Amino acid sequence: MERTKMKIRIRICLTLVLLTATRCSDYLEHLPDQRAELNSPEKVAELLASAYPRANYITFLEALSDNAEDKALTTSELINSEPWQFNDVPGRNEDTPDFYWQAAYAAIAASNQALETINNASDQTPYRASKGEALVTRAYAHFMLVTFFSRVYNPGTAATDPGIPYVTEPEKVVTQKYERKTVAYVYEQIEKDLEEGIPLLDNESYKEGAGRYHFTTTAAHGFATRFYLFKMDYAKVVAHANLAFPSGNILPSLRPINSEAYRALEPLVKLAEYTKADKPANLLLVEAPSLWARSLRGYRYGFNFNLLNKVVWNQNVTSGLWGYMFYGNEASLFTPKFREHFVKMDPNAEIGTPYNMIPLLTAEEVLFNRAEANARLGNYDATLKDLNDFASTRIIVNDTDEPYYDPARHTVTRARVLQFYHTTDIEAALIATVLDFKRVEFLFEGQRWFDIIRHHLQVVHVPYSRDNILTLGPNDPRRVLQIPQEAQSSGIELNPR
Amino acid sequence: MHVHRYTGITGRKIKLLLILLLAGFASLAETVGKVESLDEYLHRLEQQHHVSFVYDASEINRALKIETTEATSLEACLNLLRAIDITYKIVGDQVILQKAKRPPVIITGEVTEMVEGKSSPMVGVSIVEKGTNNGTMTDSKGAYRVLVKDHGTLVFSMVGYKTQEIIVGDETTLNVVLAEDVSVFNEVVVTGYQDVDKKLFTGSTINLKGSDVKQDGITDVSRMLAGRAAGVSVQNVSGTFGTAPKIRIRGATSITGDNKPLWVVDGVVLEDVVNISNEQLSTGDTKTLIGSSVAGLNADDIESFQILKDASATAQYGARAMNGVIVITTKKGRVGKPLISYTANFSTYRKPSYNTFNIMNSADQMSLYDELDRKGWETFGNSKRSPNGGVYVKMYDLIDQYDKTNGSFGLRNTPEARAAFLQGYARRNTDWFDELFRNSFMQEHSLGISSGTEKSQLYFSGSYLQDDGWTIADRVKRFTGNARANFNITDKLAIGLITQGAIRVQRAPGTVSRRSNPVEGKYDRDFDINPFSYAINTSRALTPRDDQGNLEFFKRNFAPFNIIHELENNTLDLTMIDLKLQGDVSYKIRPNLKYAFLGAVRYAKTNQEHKVYEHSNMAEAFRADGDAIIRQNNKFLYRNPDDPEAEPVVVLPYGGFYNTTDDYLVSYNLRNTLEWNKTFNDTHIVRVFGSQELRYADRQNKFFYGYGYQFDKGGVPYVDPNIIKQVVEGNFDFYGMGMTYDRFLAGMVNATYSYRTKYNLNGTLRYDGSNRLGKSRDARWLPTWNVSGSWNVDAENFMASQSIITRLTVRATYGLTASMGNATNSSLVLSTNKATRPYLPEIESVINIQDLENRELTWEKQYETNIGFDAAFFRERVTLTVDWYDRDGFDLISPLRTSAIGGQFVKSANYADMTSRGIEVTLGGTLYQGDHGGWKTQLTFAHNRNRVTNLKSTPTIWELVSSDGGPKEGYPYRGLFSVDFQGLNAENGSPYFINEKGETSNNVYLQSDITKYLKYEGPVDPTITGGLYNSFRYRNITLSALITFSAGNKIRLTPAFSSSYTDLDATPKEFLNRWMTSGDEKFTTVPSILDVRTLGSLDGVNPYAVYNYSDVRIADGGFVRLKQVSLSYLLPESWTSRLGATNLSVSLIANNPMLLYADKKLKGQDPEFFNSGGVATPIPQQYTLSLKAGF
Repeated sequence: MERTKMKIRIRICLTLVLLTATRCSDYLEHLPDQRAELNSPEKVAELLASAYPRANYITFLEALSDNAEDKALTTSELINSEPWQFNDVPGRNEDTPDFYWQAAYAAIAASNQALETINNASDQTPYRASKGEALVTRAYAHFMLVTFFSRVYNPGTAATDPGIPYVTEPEKVVTQKYERKTVAYVYEQIEKDLEEGIPLLDNESYKEGAGRYHFTTTAAHGFATRFYLFKMDYAKVVAHANLAFPSGNILPSLRPINSEAYRALEPLVKLAEYTKADKPANLLLVEAPSLWARSLRGYRYGFNFNLLNKVVWNQNVTSGLWGYMFYGNEASLFTPKFREHFVKMDPNAEIGTPYNMIPLLTAEEVLFNRAEANARLGNYDATLKDLNDFASTRIIVNDTDEPYYDPARHTVTRARVLQFYHTTDIEAALIATVLDFKRVEFLFEGQRWFDIIRHHLQVVHVPYSRDNILTLGPNDPRRVLQIPQEAQSSGIELNPR
Repeated sequence: MHVHRYTGITGRKIKLLLILLLAGFASLAETVGKVESLDEYLHRLEQQHHVSFVYDASEINRALKIETTEATSLEACLNLLRAIDITYKIVGDQVILQKAKRPPVIITGEVTEMVEGKSSPMVGVSIVEKGTNNGTMTDSKGAYRVLVKDHGTLVFSMVGYKTQEIIVGDETTLNVVLAEDVSVFNEVVVTGYQDVDKKLFTGSTINLKGSDVKQDGITDVSRMLAGRAAGVSVQNVSGTFGTAPKIRIRGATSITGDNKPLWVVDGVVLEDVVNISNEQLSTGDTKTLIGSSVAGLNADDIESFQILKDASATAQYGARAMNGVIVITTKKGRVGKPLISYTANFSTYRKPSYNTFNIMNSADQMSLYDELDRKGWETFGNSKRSPNGGVYVKMYDLIDQYDKTNGSFGLRNTPEARAAFLQGYARRNTDWFDELFRNSFMQEHSLGISSGTEKSQLYFSGSYLQDDGWTIADRVKRFTGNARANFNITDKLAIGLITQGAIRVQRAPGTVSRRSNPVEGKYDRDFDINPFSYAINTSRALTPRDDQGNLEFFKRNFAPFNIIHELENNTLDLTMIDLKLQGDVSYKIRPNLKYAFLGAVRYAKTNQEHKVYEHSNMAEAFRADGDAIIRQNNKFLYRNPDDPEAEPVVVLPYGGFYNTTDDYLVSYNLRNTLEWNKTFNDTHIVRVFGSQELRYADRQNKFFYGYGYQFDKGGVPYVDPNIIKQVVEGNFDFYGMGMTYDRFLAGMVNATYSYRTKYNLNGTLRYDGSNRLGKSRDARWLPTWNVSGSWNVDAENFMASQSIITRLTVRATYGLTASMGNATNSSLVLSTNKATRPYLPEIESVINIQDLENRELTWEKQYETNIGFDAAFFRERVTLTVDWYDRDGFDLISPLRTSAIGGQFVKSANYADMTSRGIEVTLGGTLYQGDHGGWKTQLTFAHNRNRVTNLKSTPTIWELVSSDGGPKEGYPYRGLFSVDFQGLNAENGSPYFINEKGETSNNVYLQSDITKYLKYEGPVDPTITGGLYNSFRYRNITLSALITFSAGNKIRLTPAFSSSYTDLDATPKEFLNRWMTSGDEKFTTVPSILDVRTLGSLDGVNPYAVYNYSDVRIADGGFVRLKQVSLSYLLPESWTSRLGATNLSVSLIANNPMLLYADKKLKGQDPEFFNSGGVATPIPQQYTLSLKAGF
């Protein structure tokens, strides 16, 4: 009797405990703080504002390229001197390849998180534009990673060259294993995401004024021209370039460098203007923590008068003068493009994070990509038209009494090109013109490196002392940046050295 | 009560019996004069007289012996029964027997106790007749009068005294002496969940009686534990009211966590209003003012502290108790007539003095400025450009001042005029401590009333504290109230109710948060007006008042500054309301099965108002735009990004600031417990205890920055839209609100088995669940467990033969404890920010992934082994407790570098390991005990050493060299490192170090994560802590002293060196030995003062900031401190009774009077105190007069 009573009691207790236990799980579902939950189209769209690699590659790309010479300053920074000496860049702070790697994968994580939410949504329609942006950003970040950390696309070896991990799922454990696979695989994935994403994009979905910080259809097509140029699919380059701008007309979007109004701006204003979102030439901008704007003049390995003479002031195919304005002396020569946006730790702090607005894609690049593709495709007149459009916004007669472009004197023709480059191969001459124009246009923007790896150009760095001249041959393994050491914890092999 | 018949005899049978009785009459004579049993006797009478007996068998014992004599009549025979107190009544043929009823007697008497050798009356002693409700209580003279049944038993009882039972005999006066039950507090361990017999308790614990550790004059009860409990380290990093000391029980258990013990008050966990880690306590930020969870408790309300240390002791707190538990029990009402106790403390603080600090006087200081002037620092042009300035800047500014009306200058630019001007200041030798501190007055009044009967006990108390402030900038008022009622409704049902409340109003110097500046190797705090750091950092050549007695202003942030004016115009007002309602019900379902429920609600609200008046320096700095140079250099002006070429402009044209911060806490606690006890055959004691609980806490923090508030123009704000634009463009918020939600569930079973209380075995299993571990049901629930055992050796037979060891218990524990780490990335953490872009149209809201989901996130855990014993020798004259423990922490949360491919390079993950080991000793003794006095002593000692055994995070140099130290694998949880000093440069006297590349250089990159060239100095936390307490009594006088000590840690000296100095800086006397000329580097390690040109040649490198973090600037942290000396006098009874009181005492107390030993290198720097500015002040020397009275 006593025992059964006891049993009943125990049973009652257990049921109570179980009852409370089931209630418990609801009780413990409460989030510990006000963290945003990714559950609406608006929030997914806001998350995608972080799906762009917020890192600056210019510092190491300029130093690696032939746009940098030894200015023989007494002090030097590792983030500038190591890439110039073709060494692996130490550290993982802003302006290093490691930092770019982290930022690019962080951008990819945002894209993947957005895609996971979209794919789990019962109704995907309101997410259409975001899905497009997520796919294109994912393609972009992976493309930049494969360009820096793998060998440049080569149809012959892409199927065996190690790629970089193409991540499509949000990571949920502390250490996940990944595979590099191959460059060909990465390119396939990029193409797939890009082609699927572009039609879904909607320029109206972005906040007015901030659209240039997102993949608009123009920017996405612009990125596609770069991708296909690397992939050597020239027809697609031309097709996407024509889709990027209304009726393929890029000229109105080019920067009015040689215009009277632009040339008259104060240097500080010029600095600010170059990376403003309301400039049509800026197809895609990103805010990135970087010391580039404040240091580009002071780095030991950089742009100097020798380069200015060689690259800019020397004779060019138009026979006119480049209308770019340069400031500073031998030690601090620059053309105004970057202005630092210093984000303080608190409103009155003197310390904080310096941000640079980086133009990732510009109308000029799309124009050059189309020009180069057309040259490859044999559409030489089309190439010449683009080159002349470009020259019309850059070239002046001289900067004293005739600071304007004169079509009569400056128009580039087949004959002029052949003569200037001492060749009979019109395709080669046009491509040389494109590369030269690009080099001038993108000084201080890092773009030169893309042409160096794509065209396997040799880079020679001559120390001021003239000892130990450094040469980066066309197939030098140092053209491929080293993957961060920590990646080995995910089973990633480093690049050969 | 049933009335039984003696036999079941019917009428007919009785007749028959009578015949038989008559027949046997002759035989009766033989029985005369003999002793027989009552049973036999009655039986005989029944036969003789044909009667039957009716009586209550429980009242009359048949086995009683009775002497019988020859008697013939029934009455005569029955009268014999009177001898054994039995009366009779004949009803027909029945005789009803009854125990003789004696009249009740009145007993009077006096209850006393022996106090210091003489008897003293006891008031409120309960006197109850056993087994009845009849009772009374002693009056104020200890007398009582009670009507009690003859031969009844009186029970004399009082809490804290041994109960006495006395059977009433012939005496009608019973004088009783009650003896104090010394074991009563030691015998029960209060875990907060249940009260456990100490004999059965197997864990490591310390009990401190509230009245024993109370330090009159010390307002925060947590500070009273210093030196009194082995293994509890209390570091007073700041002495400001409301700031918590850094308390650790057995050292740290977590690398990134708070490492704070859990406070439990009357069974309810005291939630912090804001979560402040032990490291944050030393920042001096306003948040630290609400850092002490127990600041709202009145020390007089505390009955006891129970410190639970090992896994077994803390088991019932499961996954929150890794850092130990401090259980506070507040006073309950006690049975007796109302008892009133009143305490008044009057304290005064001593001003700090320059004698103890190593700071130059104004003459030395001026000659140093003269050198600065010669080295080009105070040049005429510079004076205007410099945002801050003292005497020299003032001089140059006066020279520059030209009055057009009379053509005179503020100061003539002649060597004579200048010398005269400067000499005036050189002679001032301002005592800033005298200006900014005061020998203040603090009073504290506390009144408690206790009353009760067996059925209900009440305790009420109220206290008032007013501290006029040690500095001219702070003051505090605190009110506390406490009402506690306990009702024993029936034998089975008891109900308790507690209402506790505290109100606090405090003023502190206005301050903004400190920020770590690894770029320049320092901590920045704008507009710091902390009086203590001002006094030790400001030149003594500066003057607070001019010759006319008016406030004299110098320059700070391009605006006029005078510290006294600023402290009046830039204030922080804090108010706090804290209310707790608590109820508990216990019900005895069966005698050995008890159910209890406990529920509590707490509501705490704090509000901080930072008021910056119009004419404060802080507001004026935003308006300083005197000339183009100032406009260009004043960082408080607004630069419009839309107009890069424009000059910065003022955005605070009128008013000041009104910035508020509010913190709210709402918390609920519910708990059900079931306890079952059974003892089998007096041998096997089994106890099972189960509990289930729920915790809920919502915290809200909100802040608002009010710009342009015009305090003296009717409180109307004037907001310049540009100031908001500036804030938004800078990616900041001018208001904000944040919530955190804590949800917690737990269930626990604890079982104890004891064999004759000799061998005890204890086991606990607990499940905890928290919402902070995400949606995964596996991670969310954590089981913790432990097993422990103890052996009461003294109960063994072989111990009976000796008399040295009175008591000996050996204990051992092994178990798993856990705690919630600081990570919240169990699910994806998104944070919404504004895009960090320069122009308003481009700025948009961005959701960033702050932390990826970490499915594997779990609790931080540790296995703990504890072995210890408690012993008493020579009849408790000497007691000794020793504990040894070993802790293996694992799954500790720390930052971990990953491949970054998932999108997050550094993740919070459970992977780090740490071990710690220690020993704790408490030795107590009554060294002398006589009729007139005694000497009691207690020594506590603890040693703890911990080591991080697995840690992948790589801290930067800055994180390891700054005063809080940092974690590194192979070193203690917080190790202090130094940059390796390599001597001075022979050319300019600037210091050299081994830098992050291993080279000798004057350039060390503090943000580098290459730390292998740093020099390890030692742990930041002391490895040895303890205290020595002595108390001497002679008759009515008691003298006690507490000495605390700690050792084994290293301290970073306050940064004093800089590559440039201004004429505001106070410099330490070390500067007198500084490098002056080439060759000095052989004799001194004190670097030179640079001239402007040399500084320029250093190229932005700052070796002087690094010098502050070198191995030269390290001191040993060990110290011995005389913490308290107290002298009390208990007034004689004759005086006391004349005032109608039962006791009266007067005490004089000196708190913190002396630092007996500290490293000489500290030169006045308090080894416990972190001079971080803001609201931090050291613990002052304090003298208190304390009056206590009981009625």
